[in-house]
Amino acid sequence: MKEEFKIAWRNLWRNRRRTIITGASIFFAVFFAVIMRSYQLGSYDNMINNLLESFTGYIQVQHIKFQDNPLIDNSFDYNDSLASAISEVDKVVSVTPHLESFTLASSGTQTKGVAIIAIDPVKEKDFSDPESKLVKYRITEEAVKRLKDAGSIPDNILEKVNENLGRSYSSPARIELELGLSDEDKERCMPEILKYTEVSNGFLTNDDEGILVSDKLASYLKVSIGDSVILMGQGYHGISATGIFPVRGIIKMPSPEIDNKLIIMTIPAAQKFFDAEGKITSLVVNLTDKSNRTIKTAKARINSLLTDNNTTAKTWYELNPIIYQQIQGDSQSGQAMLGVLYFIIFFGIFGTVLMMVSERKREFGVLVAIGMQKKKLKRIVAIEMFLLGAIGLVCGLLAGTPLILYFYYHPVVLKGELGNLMEDYGWDAVMPTAWFGPYFYWQAVIVALMVLLAILYPIRKIGKMKEIEALKG
Amino acid sequence: MRNSYVIIFFLLAQGFGLNALSAQDLSATDIVRKADEKFNGEKSSYSVMSMNVIRPEWQRTIEFKSWTFGKDYALALITAPAKETGQTFLKRGSEMWSWNPSISRLIKLPPSMMSQGWMGSDYTNDDILRESSVVDDYIHEIIGEENIDSRLCYKIKMTAREDASIVWGKQIRWIDKKDFLVLKAELYDEDGFLVRTETGSDIKIMDGRAIISKIELSPEEEPENKTILEIREIKFNIPIGESYFSQQNMKRVR
Repeated sequence: MKEEFKIAWRNLWRNRRRTIITGASIFFAVFFAVIMRSYQLGSYDNMINNLLESFTGYIQVQHIKFQDNPLIDNSFDYNDSLASAISEVDKVVSVTPHLESFTLASSGTQTKGVAIIAIDPVKEKDFSDPESKLVKYRITEEAVKRLKDAGSIPDNILEKVNENLGRSYSSPARIELELGLSDEDKERCMPEILKYTEVSNGFLTNDDEGILVSDKLASYLKVSIGDSVILMGQGYHGISATGIFPVRGIIKMPSPEIDNKLIIMTIPAAQKFFDAEGKITSLVVNLTDKSNRTIKTAKARINSLLTDNNTTAKTWYELNPIIYQQIQGDSQSGQAMLGVLYFIIFFGIFGTVLMMVSERKREFGVLVAIGMQKKKLKRIVAIEMFLLGAIGLVCGLLAGTPLILYFYYHPVVLKGELGNLMEDYGWDAVMPTAWFGPYFYWQAVIVALMVLLAILYPIRKIGKMKEIEALKG
Repeated sequence: MRNSYVIIFFLLAQGFGLNALSAQDLSATDIVRKADEKFNGEKSSYSVMSMNVIRPEWQRTIEFKSWTFGKDYALALITAPAKETGQTFLKRGSEMWSWNPSISRLIKLPPSMMSQGWMGSDYTNDDILRESSVVDDYIHEIIGEENIDSRLCYKIKMTAREDASIVWGKQIRWIDKKDFLVLKAELYDEDGFLVRTETGSDIKIMDGRAIISKIELSPEEEPENKTILEIREIKFNIPIGESYFSQQNMKRVR
């Protein structure tokens, strides 16, 4: 066996060019497939995480009618003992009460329908953490002008800043990401940029009567911190809810759709406003992971804890069936694309194998004629092919790994038209890759299968070979 | 042979025509106009009403006063429950404004609010604001006579005119022959599906007229929901003009 291995290895390098061509075709197949799949899975993961971790949660306890009819009437009584019982359930990370509704927000002559989410400022830290989304930096025309006047920023970076005019940020990291600065530039320019773009902001205290307004909504209503917003809508059991609320802070939501219409207030303030004493519309539960098993067992446990027959636990995919189906459909079309890619690659591999067999027809004939067993010859050819496959595969995976790693930590930030388009769809305009998972190892399995399929041809050819004819060439 | 058929046909046609004429001293449009003027007043009206909103799990009553002038102007003042007392709503043409004393602000209701229920009832803001005229925006046709609460009614089909911008595609109204009261109305959407039924009852004499004092509205899709409007007091053709329906007056009326 060792001898056969040695012969196979030498055979490979007898015709270096052929080996490299075949190896390269496998290499590229694996490389592209891995990168493509990683991007796809990564951006979906990003989308789902965006949605789950700061909005829907993995599981929500709701009034049974709330999903179909999200009115304040379909709320339920909140008690701390239920929340703490749920937080005892295995794999539950956080339990957060929410009171959600829709009202009209008005300021001056501007009026707009908005979503109200009432939170417990302390408990919310474990869930969507709105405090981290407060707008801290804003690139205004004035800020750009002052930056220019300061004169310490090179023109090319100033231009980049200017491209992002009107945008606001919750963290310096996000500015760095969108400006695409090099490490050197970062060190040199970031302090200046931060200095001139910084804005003051505030947050809610526990029983605050004020509100947080999302960034785009605030600019639509033309309000800033200290101004007041009038909210009016329908409260519990049809009572009219009207109130005037001071703006405490401006938050930047990643999804523009939400950024256009979100107002956050404290639960006590909302209960007073909607005349819904002691009521909430949902308990948002976050879990350790989003695998099917975790979600299903947690859901069953939580359901057994609910004493109010009008409430039920719903999973994130029950709450967002459209997004769930969209993700599944897209994932399948991604797999179909991969299938096509593999199909083409397979014929690439098969083509080189075909070439190899016809080139070496005479050689095989001579070997058999001087007494080599056909069985042994088949084995050598098979080993050759496997070595080739393994080299291509390993190289492909190795070449893909640093790219996946890099883009996992430094996701591509989409800018310009495409970025805006993504944001219009309500997605965060970044494209991270997925961390190494089953998809990565599956490439190995699929390529191994393709090689196996390609080997069948030379083996069959050798089996059916007539030495005399082969010798004649 | 053929000639005799023609003669019979003419005779029949004439006979029917005569019958129809004698039964129809009033055209369908006249009936609808009379009923409309009777209920809304020829020029203006003032009324005190209560509205009972009924839901499977709860119900609540709102009391209000309202003033109307023509079909373009209306003003409503909420008088109960206590929490909402003092709120006023003003309709001027196609605009609707709300005044809320608890926040001392005047708000113009945006289009997105129009399909929402007024004060939590089954009446939408659009119903109240609706400029359409039951007389001018529909083509009327008498399609029969039926008894409702042992009163003989014209059954009138009203099809929306194509150029009219109105919510309903079709209405069927049962209008009392004697007093021209709308005892029942079925409202259909543009696709011909029944959306809601309104029934009038409790005929009383108020301000010298016999009118229905109770209107019950039930939406077709949610049969458990109901809104009952009761007229406590009504006066017709009171001396108010367009100037009464101003933003200043919204804050003043009592």
